[in-house]
Amino acid sequence: MSALLQRKPGLRAWLLLAPSFVWLMLFFIIPLGIILVYSFLERDVYGGVVWKWTLDNYRRVFDPLYFKTFLASLWIAFLTAFFSLLFGYPLAYYIATRPEKVRNALVLALMIPFWTNFLVRTYAWLTLLRTNTGLINVWLQQWGIIDRPLPLFGNTFAITLGLVYGWMPDMILPIYAALERLDRRLLEAAEDLYASRWQVFRRVIWPLSLPGVVAGTMLVFIPSLGAFVTPAILGGGKRLMIGNVITNQFLGAHDWPFGSALSVLMMAVMLVATLIYFRTGGEEGRRGGLG
Amino acid sequence: MVETSVPAVELRDVVKRFAEVIAVNHVSLKIAPGEFFALLGPSGSGKTTTLRMIGGFELPTEGEVFIEGEPQGYKPPYQRPVNTVFQNYALFPHMTVAQNIAFGLEMRGVPREEIRRRVGEMLELVRLSGYERRRPHQLSGGEQQRVALARALINRPKVLLLDEPLGALDLKLRKAMQLELKTIQEQVGITFIYVTHDQEEAITMADRIAVMNRGRVLQVGTPQEVYEHPENLFVADFIGDTNFIPVQVQQVGDGVQVLTVSGAVLLAHWGEPTLNAGSEAMMAVRPERMRLHRPEEVPQQEGWNAVEGIIRHVIYHGLDIRYEVHLAGGTTLHVRMPVGQGETRFQRGEHVVVSWPHAAARVFRSES
Repeated sequence: MSALLQRKPGLRAWLLLAPSFVWLMLFFIIPLGIILVYSFLERDVYGGVVWKWTLDNYRRVFDPLYFKTFLASLWIAFLTAFFSLLFGYPLAYYIATRPEKVRNALVLALMIPFWTNFLVRTYAWLTLLRTNTGLINVWLQQWGIIDRPLPLFGNTFAITLGLVYGWMPDMILPIYAALERLDRRLLEAAEDLYASRWQVFRRVIWPLSLPGVVAGTMLVFIPSLGAFVTPAILGGGKRLMIGNVITNQFLGAHDWPFGSALSVLMMAVMLVATLIYFRTGGEEGRRGGLG
Repeated sequence: MVETSVPAVELRDVVKRFAEVIAVNHVSLKIAPGEFFALLGPSGSGKTTTLRMIGGFELPTEGEVFIEGEPQGYKPPYQRPVNTVFQNYALFPHMTVAQNIAFGLEMRGVPREEIRRRVGEMLELVRLSGYERRRPHQLSGGEQQRVALARALINRPKVLLLDEPLGALDLKLRKAMQLELKTIQEQVGITFIYVTHDQEEAITMADRIAVMNRGRVLQVGTPQEVYEHPENLFVADFIGDTNFIPVQVQQVGDGVQVLTVSGAVLLAHWGEPTLNAGSEAMMAVRPERMRLHRPEEVPQQEGWNAVEGIIRHVIYHGLDIRYEVHLAGGTTLHVRMPVGQGETRFQRGEHVVVSWPHAAARVFRSES
C-alpha cells in the first residue's frame, strides 16, 4: 500500500482529501442541491413538497412584501460592513503598531467576547437598548439628559449595532494581519519623499492593506446578510431581515419550497456581490500584495 | 579633502541615547559639498543612527545637525533637503517603477509634464529605460537598487543618504554597483553619505571615511590615510589585514622603542601619543610591508626591524604568496610577498627572518 502511495503522489493527495470531500458532499453540496430542487417545487398542505415543477416561488420572492425585506437586509448588511470597517480599521492599525507583546495581548482581548455564547451577548444588548426598560434609556432619563426614551430598539439602528458588535473582529483580524506585515521602512520612505501623514496613509498604508479590507468586508457582509438571531432579538419583532423570513418559511409556515427560493436568491446575491467585490477590490488588492 | 566655508553636513557634538544605551556618543563631523563620505563600522557602532539623525528619522538627544549651515532642530525628514536610499530599498510594492520614482515629485505637486520628463531622465541615468511599467518584485536586486537610487535622486537633494545600499547584493553585483554608484555620484555632483560595514567598499568608493565603533568616531580621513596611518588599534584592526605583535614599550621619543615577548628590540616611527615607557602595547604592521629572508641572506639595512621565525603555512594566491610565520613566544605573522621574477620562494618548516621598515610599524595601546 505504502509503495503504491509512493509511486502515485496523486492518489495520496486524493486519499488525504477524501474525508473533507465526503463531509462537504454530505453536509454542503447535497443539501444545497436539495434546496435548489425544492425551490422549483410546490408545497403540500402538510409541510412537505409536491413533485410538480413551478416558478411560482420565485415569482413570490419579488412580491413587494418580501422584496422590501430583502432590500432592507442588503442595506443593513452594507451598513454593518461599512461601520465595522470605519471602527475596525483604526483599531486594527492601532494594534498592528504596538510592540509585539502588547499586540498579542490585544488580539487575545479581541477574541474574549467569543468565549460567551452569541445569543447571551445579544440578549445583553437587549437589556441595554430596550425602549422603556433598557438601561441606557433608564439612566439617561434618571440623569435628566433626555425627557423621553430614545429609539434605540426594534429598528435598523439596533440590528446594525448588534451585527457590528458581533462581526467586527472578523473585520479587524484580516486588516490587522495585512497591516502587521507592512514594512515600516515603506512609511519612512514615503515620509522622506515629502508625503504628508494623510498621503502616507492614502498612497502606501491603505493600498497595501486592501487585501485585508476586502477579506474583512466579505467576512462581515455575508454573515450579516443572512443574520437571523440578531434581528430576531434586537429587531423586537417589528424589524425583520431576510434570514428571519427564511427561518419562518421552514419552521413556522412550513413552506419549504418558498424558503428554498428565498435562500437561493440570497446565495445568488452573495455570490454576485463577492465576485464584483473581488474583481474590483481584489484587483487593487493583488497589486497591493507583496509579490 | 575639499575645504569650503560651509560644509554640506555638519554634526556638532551629537549624542543619541535610546533608554539606557548610548548609540551615538559625542560625534562631530564636517562633510564637504560634493564629497562621497563613508560612515564605516561594525554593527552597533552607531553609523546607521548617525545617518538617521541627518535624515531626520531620529532626533539627537544632544548636539545639533547642520545641513548647508542650517541647524535642523526638530525638522521631520520631508522638511530636510536630503533623501535616503534605504537598506533593502523600501520600494513601494504596489507601484510601478515609474510611479515609485515619481512619488517624491508628485507629493510636492510638480506638474505632470515635468514629472514625466524627469522620470525619463532618471531612468536613463540609472540605465533602466523601458522598465517604467514593471513592479519592484519583477526586478533583480541590482535593478531594485537602481530604482531606489533614482527615486531619491529625482528630488535633487543637497545630500543623499545611503544606508548599506548594496548590502543585499551578491559579491559580483556589489562590485559592479560600487563602480556605478561612484560614477553616478560624480555625474550628479551631490554629496553622498554612505553607511557600510564593509571596509573594502568604503575604501573603494569614498573620498573620506569616518570609522566608527561603539558610538564614537575613531578616525576620519581619506582611504589612504585610514589604511596607512590608522590612529588606534581598532582602526588598524578593522581596516585591512594587520599583524599585531604584543610588545612592551621601552622608550618614547622621536619614535617608539619596544621589546617583544621573546626579547627582540623593535622600533616604530609612530606611536599613539598616550604611550609611555613600561606600558603594554601592540605593534601593527601590514602583511604586504613585511619581507622574508633566509637567515644567511639578511641584508644589513638602516631603519628596518627583524625577527626570526619558522614558516608554518604557504598559501599561493595568484598575485601573491602568503606565508604564515610563527615567532618564538607564540606570535603568528602573516607575510604577503608578490609573485614576481626572481623572488625567493620559501618552504614550509624553513627558518626565516622577517623584516619591515620602522616607518611601516605603528604602536598602539593594547586596551581600546
